[in-house]
Amino acid sequence: MREDDRLGPEPSDSELVRRGRSGDDAALSTLVHRHHAAAYRVALSLTRDDDAAQDVVQDAFLKAFRALDSFRGDAAFRTWLLTITANEARGSLRKSGRRRETALEDAGPVRSEDVDPAEAAVRSQESARAREMMEQLPEKQRMSVSLRIDEGLSFKEIGQIIESSEGAARVNYFHGIRRLRELLR
Amino acid sequence: MNDALCEVVREGIPDVVSGRSSGEGAASVEGHLVTCEECRAEFELARTLFASRPRVPARLAARVVSAVQRDRTTRASPWWGLSAAAVAALALGIGISSDSPAMRDSEVPNYAYEVEEGALWLSDDGLLAGAPSFDALSDEALAELLDELAVGTSPGGSL
Repeated sequence: MREDDRLGPEPSDSELVRRGRSGDDAALSTLVHRHHAAAYRVALSLTRDDDAAQDVVQDAFLKAFRALDSFRGDAAFRTWLLTITANEARGSLRKSGRRRETALEDAGPVRSEDVDPAEAAVRSQESARAREMMEQLPEKQRMSVSLRIDEGLSFKEIGQIIESSEGAARVNYFHGIRRLRELLR
Repeated sequence: MNDALCEVVREGIPDVVSGRSSGEGAASVEGHLVTCEECRAEFELARTLFASRPRVPARLAARVVSAVQRDRTTRASPWWGLSAAAVAALALGIGISSDSPAMRDSEVPNYAYEVEEGALWLSDDGLLAGAPSFDALSDEALAELLDELAVGTSPGGSL
């Protein structure tokens, strides 16, 4: 690691990609630590299986890093990686030919120290139910809601990942949200 | 309820609940929520969903980093790849040994029966065998054998 990297702000993805191309393993490791959680959630949203999702994430990173020279930087590295992840997940589903249900405990709420225990228990139930209802959404609506809320992606980025236009991604998101509200009433 | 404003607010809600949007943008959304029940309900849903994001396995990053390092080491050493291919070929060869069911059940090719004509010998049981070697016989035993053959083939013989 160079002196200015230790003192300055965290390197951008573009910078890490450039270093990775030059054979810097530490740069690739940083990219993994930065994006593996989002990749896992995308993979889990499609495969609905923890083991399969972890395999998908590993394969997606291997594919992305092998093809790093062909990454032109038109899209953000994260969007490119998540697109590869979604494709890997779809391939995994085709291979297995089945979809297993994700255990509810895998979708547990994030704990907060500031919340009253009784209130936290109620919120935990609400969260579990919301995720359970999300499983009932069609794939593109579920992916759009997850990518927008969990990962904060723009509709343009979501469109690339779900293989739709930006407008279709927006429509899928709002339809998904409306459907969830109906299901949770 | 102002449709145009609601649309803008609803697009920004995910960024507010996740903390990605702060300052004026967040304050504007939160101000709208006080007066708009529909947007407030959507905000609560988004907050609930964000709070219940699936937990990521603790060892996943380490597993991926390890796999990436192995992959790069393998790809940087072509001889390692060749060695792996050679081992695979050897294993395949051992798998197809002569006593395997595949070999036992296979048709024996014609060339396997090709024997030089003079080396064939018809035994008493009618089976073909290799011609006997006379080298090991003593002169006396050989003479006796030739006598027997001569008797068997002479015009005045018993045969």
